[in-house]
Amino acid sequence: MSVPVSQMYTVASYILQQKIRGQKRYPFVLMLEPLFRCNLACAGCGKIQYPAQILKKHLTVEQCLAAVAECGAPIVSIPGGEPLMYPDIDKLVAELVKRRKYIYLCTNAILLKEKLHLFTPSKYLTFSVHMDGLREEHDEAVCRDGVFDEAVEGIKAALQRGFRVTTNTTLFDGASPLRMREFFDEMMDLGVEGMMLSPGYSYSKAPDQEHFLHQTRTNQLFSEMLSKPKRRWKFNQSPLFLRFLMGKKDFECTPWGNPTFNMFGWQRPCYLLQEGYAASFRELMDGTKWENYGKKSGNEKCRDCMVHCGYEATAVDHTFSSLKGFAETVSVALSGKL
Amino acid sequence: MTLEGWVPQINDYTSLREVVDFAFDYRGNTTVVKRDGGEIVGYIFNREADAPDAFIQLFDEQGDGPFTIPYRDIATIKFTGKDTAAGNSWKAWVERKEKERALRAAASGVDRLGRDPGPDGG
Repeated sequence: MSVPVSQMYTVASYILQQKIRGQKRYPFVLMLEPLFRCNLACAGCGKIQYPAQILKKHLTVEQCLAAVAECGAPIVSIPGGEPLMYPDIDKLVAELVKRRKYIYLCTNAILLKEKLHLFTPSKYLTFSVHMDGLREEHDEAVCRDGVFDEAVEGIKAALQRGFRVTTNTTLFDGASPLRMREFFDEMMDLGVEGMMLSPGYSYSKAPDQEHFLHQTRTNQLFSEMLSKPKRRWKFNQSPLFLRFLMGKKDFECTPWGNPTFNMFGWQRPCYLLQEGYAASFRELMDGTKWENYGKKSGNEKCRDCMVHCGYEATAVDHTFSSLKGFAETVSVALSGKL
Repeated sequence: MTLEGWVPQINDYTSLREVVDFAFDYRGNTTVVKRDGGEIVGYIFNREADAPDAFIQLFDEQGDGPFTIPYRDIATIKFTGKDTAAGNSWKAWVERKEKERALRAAASGVDRLGRDPGPDGG
């Protein structure tokens, strides 16, 4: 685990407060999408296929901050689209830092080097750089040559200026465990704070529909990749989630754990499935038929989903729900053995 | 398969509810034909079929909105805009990369990515 103590403390105390209040469903990370525009069109991404007038639009900073206040989650992840293309990204980040929200700015890093001057290093701000493997695999995943090298340049520049930097990696069928292990080494050599991993979700609108991982294949891939983790590898996510991906834990989805807000409103039910929008966070929480989602529901769209935004919240909640869960997390974190 | 160009007729075989669902799932602009003869072109981003007064919501071609239109006012929805999820630029990219890889494999006699023995234990 590579999450700073202050962030761990904030998240832990937030979750314990929710539990003391008897909250059954509460958000953990707000996925805030200020725009859908992106400078890449990745094979596995179904987020950016919209008509031109939608891609030109974006939320105002005020709309973003109102959503953050309404949701109340301690962590705000800013995916997109490409958030560095959002014209007010500096103002948005500064306001979120003022509010002591831990921010994961999810970027492909193509613009990172040239936009770094807009930001000030802070324990609250992390650049979460999209890296889907070593040079060849990453450039193929994003369908453009040279992006891996640009991202590495961006990471180096950000680290040099004292920013927190993590990577986030989406894995698809065909990924090589051995190459991924080399990739982990390379990211650690770069000096990133930690890495986040997740299997891809089968977006119906993604161009590549052939390489989404089914559950057994996910377990196999992550087991091969992580069964003998090197001590130097640092993962910026719950170790129990990684154990879940390896098939060592069985979790149910927590679809309300990472709610999404974008120009259409509050996305039902989660970041991945788009089944309509609620006008307010409360309407999302109270008016969504949550029993229709997750593996147990039998919903075909949830069948093979093991994505972090559905299951990381479950893993974190498990850590704080029982002494056993807490002890398991601590044991994995200390031993480094998944 | 894309629905681009489809002009559905609402009848005994095709319900408005079904057409709205298709339109909601469609990543392109559509033309909503109203019962009063008016038309509005835009992107349908939301629909509440189970609301007491079922409705759709859309942003028009200029990006203005959201506009809310009740189901009861809709005659049909035409799939007039380009299906933005049906592009083939990704396929062109894949074909080019496959050719490059085949050439490299032919040159070296080995496909490096194709002979992964599994984790090495590090």
